Amino acid sequence: MNGQRLVSWRNPWFVASVGGTFAVLVFSAFVGFVWLPSAQDDELFKGLLNAICSAAGVPRSWLANASPPVPPSSPVSNVALTPTMLSKPSDASTGRGATLALRCTMCHGARGVSAANTPNLAGQYAPSVYKELRDFQNGARVSAIMAPMVVGLSDQDMRDLAAYYAFLPRLSVKTSHGNAEAPDVVATGAPMRNIAPCASCHGGLTDKVGAPWLNGQPLTYLTSQLNAFATGKRRNDISEQMRNVARQMTPNEIDEAAKYYAAQ
Amino acid sequence: MSSSSAYDPHESAKVAARIEQRWALVVVGIVAVLVAMVIFTGLHWAMMPPSRVETIDPTTLHVSGEFVESNLGSTVEQDGSVTVRLVAQQYSFTPQCIVVPAKTPIIFRATSADVVHGMLITDTNINSMLEPGYISTFKTRFDKPGNHLMPCHEFCGLGHEAMWANVKVVDQDTFFKMAAKTRRLSCVNP
Amino acid sequence: MLTHKRLILAHFWLAFAVFGLAILLGEWQMYIRSPLHAWLRNPDLYYRSVTAHGTVMGYVFPTLIAMGFGYAITELALKQSLIGVKWAWAGFWLIVVGSITAVIPVAMGLSSVLYTFYPPMIGNAFYYIGVVLVVVGSWIWVALMGINMNAWKRANPGRAVPLAMFANVAGSYLWAWTAVGAALELLFQILPAALGWTTTINAGLSRVLFSWTLHAIVYFWLMPAYIAFYTIVPRAIGGRLYSDTMARIAFAMFLVFAMPIGIHHLFADPEVGSGFKFVHSVFTAMVSAPTLLTVFTICASVEIAARLRGGKGAFGWLKALPWDNPQMLALAFSFVMLGFGGAGGLINMSYQLDATIHNTQWITGHFHLIFAGAIVIMYFAIAYDLWPHLTGRAMNDLRLMRTQLWLWFIGMIVLTFPWHYAGILGMPRRMAYYDYSNPGIASQASTVILSVIGGAILVISAMLFITILVRNHRAPRVTPAPFSFSQAVHEPESVPVALNGFGLWVGLMIALTVTNYGYPIAQIITQQHAQVPAIYIGAKR
Repeated sequence: MNGQRLVSWRNPWFVASVGGTFAVLVFSAFVGFVWLPSAQDDELFKGLLNAICSAAGVPRSWLANASPPVPPSSPVSNVALTPTMLSKPSDASTGRGATLALRCTMCHGARGVSAANTPNLAGQYAPSVYKELRDFQNGARVSAIMAPMVVGLSDQDMRDLAAYYAFLPRLSVKTSHGNAEAPDVVATGAPMRNIAPCASCHGGLTDKVGAPWLNGQPLTYLTSQLNAFATGKRRNDISEQMRNVARQMTPNEIDEAAKYYAAQ
Repeated sequence: MSSSSAYDPHESAKVAARIEQRWALVVVGIVAVLVAMVIFTGLHWAMMPPSRVETIDPTTLHVSGEFVESNLGSTVEQDGSVTVRLVAQQYSFTPQCIVVPAKTPIIFRATSADVVHGMLITDTNINSMLEPGYISTFKTRFDKPGNHLMPCHEFCGLGHEAMWANVKVVDQDTFFKMAAKTRRLSCVNP
Repeated sequence: MLTHKRLILAHFWLAFAVFGLAILLGEWQMYIRSPLHAWLRNPDLYYRSVTAHGTVMGYVFPTLIAMGFGYAITELALKQSLIGVKWAWAGFWLIVVGSITAVIPVAMGLSSVLYTFYPPMIGNAFYYIGVVLVVVGSWIWVALMGINMNAWKRANPGRAVPLAMFANVAGSYLWAWTAVGAALELLFQILPAALGWTTTINAGLSRVLFSWTLHAIVYFWLMPAYIAFYTIVPRAIGGRLYSDTMARIAFAMFLVFAMPIGIHHLFADPEVGSGFKFVHSVFTAMVSAPTLLTVFTICASVEIAARLRGGKGAFGWLKALPWDNPQMLALAFSFVMLGFGGAGGLINMSYQLDATIHNTQWITGHFHLIFAGAIVIMYFAIAYDLWPHLTGRAMNDLRLMRTQLWLWFIGMIVLTFPWHYAGILGMPRRMAYYDYSNPGIASQASTVILSVIGGAILVISAMLFITILVRNHRAPRVTPAPFSFSQAVHEPESVPVALNGFGLWVGLMIALTVTNYGYPIAQIITQQHAQVPAIYIGAKR
């Protein structure tokens, strides 16, 4: 084997392996990019160039001439949520939020903790507060009380408010006892009814952007919102993510879940 | 092994190599048959995995375009086929109950709003990944009416175990009667 | 001659220790999601366990086996002392540190992303850093294997590199290249997001890069088993290796075809076009060739052993085999499991049939049968064969060894066959619990219970295995006969230059990576909307 050159057309191993591999490649490319696409009836697979581009994975519009989208009959949330939005607010933003929040104290309390049956906002996730404000403003979430309150707010105002409320310390000092004492619907959900454990979105286990922190919220507020989602009266949850859960819950489960979170 | 009295190692090596070469040909044959089967089904049943690449911004699905809430569900197209649009998100499909007619060409259009999800419909060959940024488009048809489960089959977070939807296949008459009343159908109870 | 027994023993023992722990997690997972246990009230415990089980069994355990066995082969086959022992220890400690770094955030529930990562979900950075350290540690081993082989070749010009070493280096080079995909994903995509430097990630690209690693990693796991097929078993049962050249061709083919086929894991993905899926499907069919060649060569080698022991007849020779020899038993079990697993694999690789079982429990059943079955049972055989040479003590528990291998085989069949069936019924993977009271999935309940039983048998077998190794350390001292690898019927004096090195095969491997992965990767990088928000997991509170 000395003196034998590896890369040489006189080395049969080189010729056979490179030639064989190349042949398999060419054959499979021909079948995959030309022959098999010819069996598809999509317009975008017709013709050689189309077939090759589509089979290669060039992005295209596969349903260009479908019927146009049905527009929503009532306003929907138009907030594009991302998990890192509002995660690092400036001190100035929080400060401006504190000033703006003066108008909210009547219902939501001086430090974001409510004496009435309105939600406690202290320590609420910033994206959740921001999203709800935006939804009140464009009518995706309907509230006779909140609608006039948000009329004049700019986008930055709402970000500032969100930053301020997220900054405030939470009411609940009760440390979580885990899911052990939680009602079944909270701890395990009901998989075949598409009910995930509450804690897999609302903090506790992990959180989902836009889903609020629920611990210590007023019982009547929690119950009324779950019922509103269940009946479809409230529709500002993006792509029905909360209605999908609430409409599957029994009245008893709604009651248990609301009581559990109110007591935390 | 050669049983001749004059054992010739070169001769026996040649015999061994010859048998080996024959087996190598068998191997080539096996591989060729496997590939031929794939090509045959690809050509004659036009079967292809969901591979129609198309992109979309996952953060604004609900704001505009074909995946707005009011456009999800089943739609009858002018050519009589049915388009089903759905969104996967942590931890549900919307609509969470899909209704389709039997014996009708159906195109699924589905995407994810957040992480990687998957969908399969039990007792069928419908199986696709749903990924943020991409629309999965695939064609199918259901042979007969019946109920199927549609779980998410890719780990999508701590609520993954609860991400199950339902698919109801109804006969054509029933479906088109329902379609006459509303433009986007689902079997979700309001 | 083994001069660095401590190094080799350290690798094997760490491997089997983490294996012994991770198998308990596996059985626990099987149990708590079965109808025998109520639903977990914290589903995260299940996902943490899956993450840990997969990370240990997929990344740490087989890597340590390949490394320890590789160091042993270097000394035994080349008959020279290992070059770079300090580096080897450094690699070992990197793996120790990496494993600990990775497992802590997983145990704390900060990184329940499963061992396949699944961006855009992003967990705690330390989990990924730990995995990177494990891979870096193994790359030291790759370099050492190349260095040792080349030193030997310089000292022995014109001579054929011993088959065991040739195969060993093939495995190491395969790993070096296939780990690049996941390394790119971790270093350039996931870690920047996990460390907060970026807030978006290209999830489609991640999936393609991970597929680069995900299939060929199986062949990296498989290499030690195949080395044992070719170079240990025929000798241990008193036979000869049928063909040295065919063995080299098989290992070279693994190097070429194992890697540019990973997109068959993405058949159901929307970011890859159908053309590339088909090309990968064809090359996946090609990778069955080296296995089919191996089956022939090893069966022929076994037949030689039987005939040398007086076996007669077309099939009568099977009776003459040394069935009381654990190596014979392990080989037979491994082949049976490889046969079933391979048949299942042919369905997975088929561009169309895959749709029936993609991402169902079938897949979990499939890779457990291949890896935990056919491959790991050979890891046991390797340990049984090497241990007396490492400890200088007698390996006398033959009965116990046979029992252990039987239990592993039976356990694996009882575990994986129902698992495959559940997949055909459409049971999705990786769910913390299932509502078996639902009529749609009630029929799957009994399959899961069977799998729990299979898992329990495997746990018993694993504990027996560790007991056997521990008992050896206390057995009377002996001087084992010098270690030898299998002799070929026709020992080659020299081999073609192509089969004495890796230039050609590594060249082809890289060329096929470019042709089969180049365009999909380039395209996805530049795609509009491909960057999606990272979704951070773990409670914020």
